[in-house]
Amino acid sequence: MGSDVVLVIVVATALAFDFTNGFHDTANVVATSISTRAMSPRIAVGYAAILNFVGAFISLEVAATVAEDVVEAGAVTPTIVFAGLIGAIAWNLITWYYGLPSSSSHALIGGVVGSTIAAVGTGAVLFDGVVGEVLIPAVVAPIVAFAVGALAILASYRIVGRQRPGPVSRGYRLGQTVTGGLLALAHGTNDAQKTMGVITLALVANGTLSENAGVPTWVVVSAATAIALGTYSGGWRIIRTMGTRIIKMDAAQGFSAQGAGAAVILSSSHFGFPLSTTQVISGGVMGAGAGKRVSAVRWGVAGNIVVAWLLTLPAAAGFGAAAYGVTRVFGTGAVGPVVVAAAATILIATLFARRARQGAPVPAG
Amino acid sequence: MAMLATIVDSKALLETAAVAVVAGVGITIAFSFAIYGVARFADARRAGAPLAAGAAAALAVLALAACAAGITAAILVMISD
Repeated sequence: MGSDVVLVIVVATALAFDFTNGFHDTANVVATSISTRAMSPRIAVGYAAILNFVGAFISLEVAATVAEDVVEAGAVTPTIVFAGLIGAIAWNLITWYYGLPSSSSHALIGGVVGSTIAAVGTGAVLFDGVVGEVLIPAVVAPIVAFAVGALAILASYRIVGRQRPGPVSRGYRLGQTVTGGLLALAHGTNDAQKTMGVITLALVANGTLSENAGVPTWVVVSAATAIALGTYSGGWRIIRTMGTRIIKMDAAQGFSAQGAGAAVILSSSHFGFPLSTTQVISGGVMGAGAGKRVSAVRWGVAGNIVVAWLLTLPAAAGFGAAAYGVTRVFGTGAVGPVVVAAAATILIATLFARRARQGAPVPAG
Repeated sequence: MAMLATIVDSKALLETAAVAVVAGVGITIAFSFAIYGVARFADARRAGAPLAAGAAAALAVLALAACAAGITAAILVMISD
């Protein structure tokens, strides 16, 4: 009974994390379409929400990686998974509050690794999986997206460079309805699956699911719904602030950047690599910018990505370990997770209220 | 370094990068040719050059078909996971 209560809290926390992931990432997914006027903000956000939902259904490789290749499913408990989620949420919240660069995906994996180390030691962490399927792809993917964005924009300028700009811009704007949709689809595929993986890990840890049972359909549907609702909710905040946050680019650059981001995220999802979609999309945008004019690129964004690489995993792991320690103060039953979840909810509400009084939050990455 | 090579599934990583480059750059090139074809078609028609207009229209249609085929293939591969 106690472990079932913890399991319910883990599922609710994971879905809340998924919602905030969609909320936070709406800007990355729709900004390019809005900035080139390919779509109105209202349509871009609704379109992205629907395709994030659909995207969550098209693959389960990333969910399998998170559920099976990060920690030993047989060695963890729902409380450990819960502490990992709290560690990730805490780190995301701190980086959001102070405007530090971060990655929700790396925070999630770091949090689970940290809480597992605190609970059962390093033996239960599958370091080969963490390095080979998370860390290395995390470094490679934004670089590939940069290269694809740069090559794509160079090729497109070479092909249409001597044509009249009006029809060319209209053509690429029309094309952006497809590449923007593919980017939203790719985002839903990779990011929603991380939540599916964590919930599946908790179900296996609780003994509700056998180790090789795969991801239950209700987990897929609930994760898809949470990320789509988050995307839709996050969009309205973007509509209000987009005037100051979106980088100006032409329609060909927008098309190339979105195509690069979608291609890298979809191919990585196919091979089961859980990526930071924010970093990949940033890589594609920077590549499309550098292909036109190197000095036009905000290289500070690249610096932010490097800082996020270095900080997020160890910091979220530390918070995950601390969350497990606090949870265990209340014993091994459901009391610890209930108290920590209540405290986290109060803390989140307080920080949101303080930020709301101070003005719009600084984007965290 | 050798240990890293055994941990990293370099074949999957290389395939990911190769597929991303081919798909990302390929679809942009194909779509750019479609735009080129449409723009040339309009110019040729205005100039009263039906042969050139036909060739440009054919290029646009072929390029758009290539784009659609590439995107459909990518989604089918994803769904087959």
